[in-house]
Amino acid sequence: MTQEVWAFSESDAVANETLTAANEIANAISGTAVMIEVQGGSPGKASFGRKLLLKGTAASADTPEFTAEVMARAAKQANPAVILVGGTKNGREVSARLSARLSRGCLSDVSKLSSDGRTLSGERGEYAGKVQTRVAADLPCIATVKAGAYPPATGKGGEVSEVQVGEVQVKEKVLSVNKKVAAMVDLRAAKIIVSAGRGVKKKEDLAIIESLARALGGTMGCSRPLSSDLGWLPEDYHIGLTGLNVKPDLYLAVGISGQLQHVAGIKDSKVVAAINTDKEAPIFQAADYGVVGDLYQVVPALEKALASRGR
Amino acid sequence: MRIAVCVKQAVDETELKVGPNGVPLIAGAASKVSTFDKNAVEEALRLKSAGGGEVVIFTVGPPDARKAMKEVLAMGADRGVHVVADTEKYDSMLVAQILAKAIQKSGPYDLTLCSEGSSDTYSGQVPPMLAEFLGQPYAGYARKVEVSGASSKVERALEDKVEVVECPLPFVASVVNEINEPRYPTLIQIMQASKKPVEEATPEALGVSVQHPLVRVESMSAQPTNRKRVLIEGTPEEAAAKLIEALAKEGVIPG
Repeated sequence: MTQEVWAFSESDAVANETLTAANEIANAISGTAVMIEVQGGSPGKASFGRKLLLKGTAASADTPEFTAEVMARAAKQANPAVILVGGTKNGREVSARLSARLSRGCLSDVSKLSSDGRTLSGERGEYAGKVQTRVAADLPCIATVKAGAYPPATGKGGEVSEVQVGEVQVKEKVLSVNKKVAAMVDLRAAKIIVSAGRGVKKKEDLAIIESLARALGGTMGCSRPLSSDLGWLPEDYHIGLTGLNVKPDLYLAVGISGQLQHVAGIKDSKVVAAINTDKEAPIFQAADYGVVGDLYQVVPALEKALASRGR
Repeated sequence: MRIAVCVKQAVDETELKVGPNGVPLIAGAASKVSTFDKNAVEEALRLKSAGGGEVVIFTVGPPDARKAMKEVLAMGADRGVHVVADTEKYDSMLVAQILAKAIQKSGPYDLTLCSEGSSDTYSGQVPPMLAEFLGQPYAGYARKVEVSGASSKVERALEDKVEVVECPLPFVASVVNEINEPRYPTLIQIMQASKKPVEEATPEALGVSVQHPLVRVESMSAQPTNRKRVLIEGTPEEAAAKLIEALAKEGVIPG
């Protein structure tokens, strides 16, 4: 029997990335990638190649605990060599629970996965992005795949099989769900990001940042203080370790001091530019181009310079 | 209400140095209490001040981890339990198993709080694993925790939505840093923290075998920062023109 490599995410977009990672590992160990859909929870609609539909029932089926228990029961039967879970917040909970329920090692938020058929290893950024660590576990094991690390899989749907796992006890109950108002566009896909930090003195002044972003054909983001502490922008604008990891062609940091936690979220950017009044600000160490100056003067000057180029 | 809070003494990532061969010098690096753990402690203190009770800090780490313990005892926690262990090769599963045993032994607790992830390795696995080993409900990424009677309502901050979940007590929650602003201890509190009782334990005494962590570190390398670090000077107009020119040359803005 060939070894199975499972791919699961409750998010459709991330599920397709996870499947790409599963295909790579399946190739490496001469196994088969299988997309897992858990029904009763959030159904993933992606279905390229083989798919296994897991069904169960519970009072609160829209919880990570439900997903973990359904997958754990199915995994005890099918014994997949590797279970890959998309690295979302709920995905990290599902994989940690699976790890405990199956007593299998779990690599957290890894990319560049590889396997020699005996172990699975992957790379993760640690110490606020200062260090790349390669972690490993013996097969069978579990890993969460860093969101955005693999391109989405494409292809045609294949054979679908179904497994019933029965009634599941879930200890949490979802009372309500409020969809957040989505950001202008998904910052993770943006080519140009102009990001605002503490150097912006009041909320209304974000207009000049947003205007520059628009002039560049880009999107506005922010550092943690603006979303978390001041609440000037929603959390989905927050770039950094505990927020979004982005990889635009151009990341322009405006009035951002450059704490490690922020820099951790922008290190995959092609070019980083920064504007800050403080010549000693750490952001200049993490930038390709730095302008020491007052953002209230430099930002309008940038927009003017862009306009005069006839754009 | 009795509240357990789990904290980690983490490597201070801002002070982390790199050796001549490009390997980060983790052993002997400066350490501190993991940044976001203070939010978990703050939330416990807030819940205690509303309904009374006790806040007990749990940590697993070498003798030196007492520093982290002291730092959060100074914030106002009542006492601590320190499982003394050389955790360098431990994986999240071992840490969660040890914490679960220590909490069960010293409990019962109505609530166990953690942060969403540690500021050094940020894998975020310990809190849900801890809930698994305690057999309790779990609410991860909490930005608001309300307890009333035998039940709770927790707002979970997820990527694209906010979810409100109900967990019966006792339960485990991990908090995000926007949940509160951690207090700064006063000088008197810092001095008094040394006198607060801290009970010591070992993994062996708690019945956890630490011989075989399932996840291991194969290699570590410092992430090279290959940025050009070009400083552009001049008047705002001159600097703006130079920056646009440089970015156009890089091909990251339309030429």
